[in-house]
Amino acid sequence: MKKVFTVIASLFLLSSLMLAGCGKTDEAGSKENASGAAQSEKKVKIRIMGYNKEETRKSYLDYLKEKLPNVDIEFQFVDLKSFENMLRTQLAAGEGPDIFETSGSGAVYANAGYVEDLTDASFTSKYNDTGLMRYQGKVYTIPLQSWFEGIWYNKDIFEKQGLTPPKTWDEWMTIHEKLRQAGVKPQAMGAKSWEPMMKQSMGMLLNEFYTKPENKDFDAAFSEGTKKVSGNWNEVVSKWTETIQKGNITKDMLGIDYDQAQDEFATGKAAMWESGPWAAEALKQKNPNLNMGMFPIPGLTEGTGWLIGGPGSAFAVNKQSKHKDVAMQILELTATPEAQQALIKDNFGSSFLKGVDVQLPPEYEDSAAAFKEGHVYAPWITWPFGAIAEDYGKSLQEVLTGAKSVDDALKVLDDKAEQQRKSLKGN
Amino acid sequence: MAAKKDKTPYMLELCLIIIAVIVALPIYYLLVTTLKTPEEAVASPLGLPHHWTFGNYAEAWNMMRYPKVFMNNFIITFFSLIGCTLLPCMAAYGFARSRNWLSKLLFLAIIAGLVVPFQIALIPLYKLISTLHLMNTLWAVIVVNISVTIPFNVFLFINFVKSLPLEVEESASIDGAGVIGSFFRIVLPLMQPVIASAAILNSLTFWNDFMGPLLFLQTRDKAVILQEVYRNIGQFSTNWTAFFPMMVLGVAPLLIFYIIMQKYIIKGIAAGSVKG
Amino acid sequence: MIRKREFAFLLLIVPALLFYLIFYLYPVVSTFAHSFTDWSLLKRSVHFIGLENYKQLFHDDVVLTGIKNSIIYAVIMTIVQNALAVPLAVALDKNLRSKNLLRMVFFAPAVLSPLVVGFLWSYIMSSLDYGPLNQMLTQIGLGSVNWLGEPKLALYSVILTQVWQWTGWAMVIYLANLQGISKELFEAAHIDGANGWKTFWNITLPLLVPSITINTVLSMIGGLKVFDIIFSMTSGGPGHATESIVTVLLQRAFTDSQLGYASALGVLFSLFVMVVTFLQLRLMKRWEVS
Repeated sequence: MKKVFTVIASLFLLSSLMLAGCGKTDEAGSKENASGAAQSEKKVKIRIMGYNKEETRKSYLDYLKEKLPNVDIEFQFVDLKSFENMLRTQLAAGEGPDIFETSGSGAVYANAGYVEDLTDASFTSKYNDTGLMRYQGKVYTIPLQSWFEGIWYNKDIFEKQGLTPPKTWDEWMTIHEKLRQAGVKPQAMGAKSWEPMMKQSMGMLLNEFYTKPENKDFDAAFSEGTKKVSGNWNEVVSKWTETIQKGNITKDMLGIDYDQAQDEFATGKAAMWESGPWAAEALKQKNPNLNMGMFPIPGLTEGTGWLIGGPGSAFAVNKQSKHKDVAMQILELTATPEAQQALIKDNFGSSFLKGVDVQLPPEYEDSAAAFKEGHVYAPWITWPFGAIAEDYGKSLQEVLTGAKSVDDALKVLDDKAEQQRKSLKGN
Repeated sequence: MAAKKDKTPYMLELCLIIIAVIVALPIYYLLVTTLKTPEEAVASPLGLPHHWTFGNYAEAWNMMRYPKVFMNNFIITFFSLIGCTLLPCMAAYGFARSRNWLSKLLFLAIIAGLVVPFQIALIPLYKLISTLHLMNTLWAVIVVNISVTIPFNVFLFINFVKSLPLEVEESASIDGAGVIGSFFRIVLPLMQPVIASAAILNSLTFWNDFMGPLLFLQTRDKAVILQEVYRNIGQFSTNWTAFFPMMVLGVAPLLIFYIIMQKYIIKGIAAGSVKG
Repeated sequence: MIRKREFAFLLLIVPALLFYLIFYLYPVVSTFAHSFTDWSLLKRSVHFIGLENYKQLFHDDVVLTGIKNSIIYAVIMTIVQNALAVPLAVALDKNLRSKNLLRMVFFAPAVLSPLVVGFLWSYIMSSLDYGPLNQMLTQIGLGSVNWLGEPKLALYSVILTQVWQWTGWAMVIYLANLQGISKELFEAAHIDGANGWKTFWNITLPLLVPSITINTVLSMIGGLKVFDIIFSMTSGGPGHATESIVTVLLQRAFTDSQLGYASALGVLFSLFVMVVTFLQLRLMKRWEVS
């Protein structure tokens, strides 16, 4: 027993020595800083919290640092899986980040009074109206580059099998079939996440439901509670499940993560994979020889197809921020062509800033027509609710396993929406 | 008879070795993947690498700012350990020896903490930490660590204290030492074994804690190892052969510590926890 | 004199009590108090709504799934982990040449962080061709298994990883207990002609009861509160198949912003764990006495 104690005691001793050592280095560091103390004292700390990784914002952050030498910008990345937990805990405790990333109009945060009203800010008018999402007529978020997702495909495999990107849903189904017969896995999907199936079913809805004139204002009505998805979406989503029945999306995929699916596509084991431009860099890094393109999700009748997307992520300013003026200054700087190009450089998308032209890289040629028609949309980001698309996505996983029918899944979405509408009432 | 006696352990040992190999496989997979190129890792997940590439580690080491985060982890674990040992020891002694109703009630209140899912209390806790100006300091994580483990440690220590003979303290009190004096001079040294085993159990929790740092340590120079690992996973992750070395660097310090200390750990726990 | 002593005891309790009250009990109680309100992150005002949240709980399918899964998880973990750890400890208490190495191997998984274990096993159990587990099964002629994607199986796959991780841990506690038992007892039994099984049932096991109590109570509480491994391996999916009480609680609190409602779940859950622990301790005590 004595021995044990000696060992533990010596460990403590050792560690206190290490601590002392570390204390010293800190001191040295602070001395170094002391020379520039006058400068560093004035440095304002701004915290930006985002769910896109620092790498995908690097050029932009460098640009901000260059333009604002007196501001210490701390970019905090939190994965989407825990982003809302973290952000909402912090906001509710009155200690949120100065600026944070969000998608859509920021309605949830606006309703609770967490975010600054940006409607009359000097930079807001510099953006095209299509990029500004409003909640009750007001602007609370400033769009970064646009976000879109489509189907990445391996051009070499397609060429070898004599295939071209599909123009219709049926063609797309046939492509799956042909690839399967040729011994290639048609589609990779990380369906362990609730997102990919949710998005693909939305692709069908964009083509077949939202294009109909009578459904033009469906999302507004759904947000209000005057319309439900049950009774409206059933037919289209049921049609979409054809891809499950044909075995293009399988139960196996429920055990696969996003990055594992990415791996399958990158290494040529699968011919298609649904994702967005942020994956391009990673794919090329994994397989420099990968020859890939992106096509939009096709509809039943021949057309350009639709991409899932929209204004994408946007920045909101915390109302309780201690340095709101600096936060606004950052947004002001973001509304410059230089900042927009810097954003696009690390993560491709188009800009909503007036007068910024973006060259479409060759990978996206197959989607050019859809872009031209403005066929980029994501219904759920216009809803002023919390993450109810997640519940819908999880229900689709249950549709895949056979535990739920499409009607059940849509009912879950309606119930969730109703519950959110209820708790949004009053503030 | 003698022959049989020898034979049984051999068979037993063989069985145990086979089970041990199976248990070790996942860790082997973790280690061996770090030495491979992505193509190799996909082609033969369990095979040995053709050419050993340690470049993955150098890259991970730099990307994680390893020395810095290691130090943060270490400081948190060290000070949390001191607090979570000393305070519950004192309290356990007080609870074990006092006879009044107030301390009995307080004891129940503390033990009740064992069953609460603590995640629910994050918002008030976050507010509190920020009111106390502890936000983004290692101290935030340290005080939370200490407080959260108090129920478990009091539970662990009190049984041990109860098993200590009263005579020693009584003779000390005749010699004129007060309760507090005899605690520090006599009881605390006697508690060494149980302190050792509690320290072993707690250091695991503190070192591997993730929620606390993620909530309270927001800048990168305050981050702990797991936060750096976490920066590189998730939806926008890139390259998992680069990610595996980070996981290894994340678990290596504890693993090495426990391999070296293995003999003492069992002895420590033997001396400590089982008297309850 | 006695008064003074009692006062000194209280003085020793105070520091721990202060930490506990400020950083643990206060946040917990203040959250629990909100279980009778419509506290939400979506709005600023909070209203008293009585037992409304509690009533709703029993109509929430996902909550019920979470409760069911947590109980299954806790019961299986408690039984399997300890049923494996006891014989393992008894075997490794014998005079084997490789015993130190073996102990080390069995204990090693326990020091890994749940986050890392979750990601590691996500790869091992991947349903892709290069998922090592399925590759091995295919090689020995068994088909591949959809470990985490099959809703009926996923929870058990998670349990499998946790048995892997924590059995060695329980083993160490049993080993520690065994080393405290005097060897003479076993020798006496041997002289009496008792065979291995008899010695185990009549001598070893009864002497292990203290550590069995500690291990089973802790794995039951830990099992009911399971969160991080599920979070990192399946996020509660596919669908809601592996949701546990704590994952649902966090979802309701933060994803759905319904803090009052989640608090009600927290209150009921804490009471439930308390009752289970109490019953379990009573049961173990009865065994200890008999």
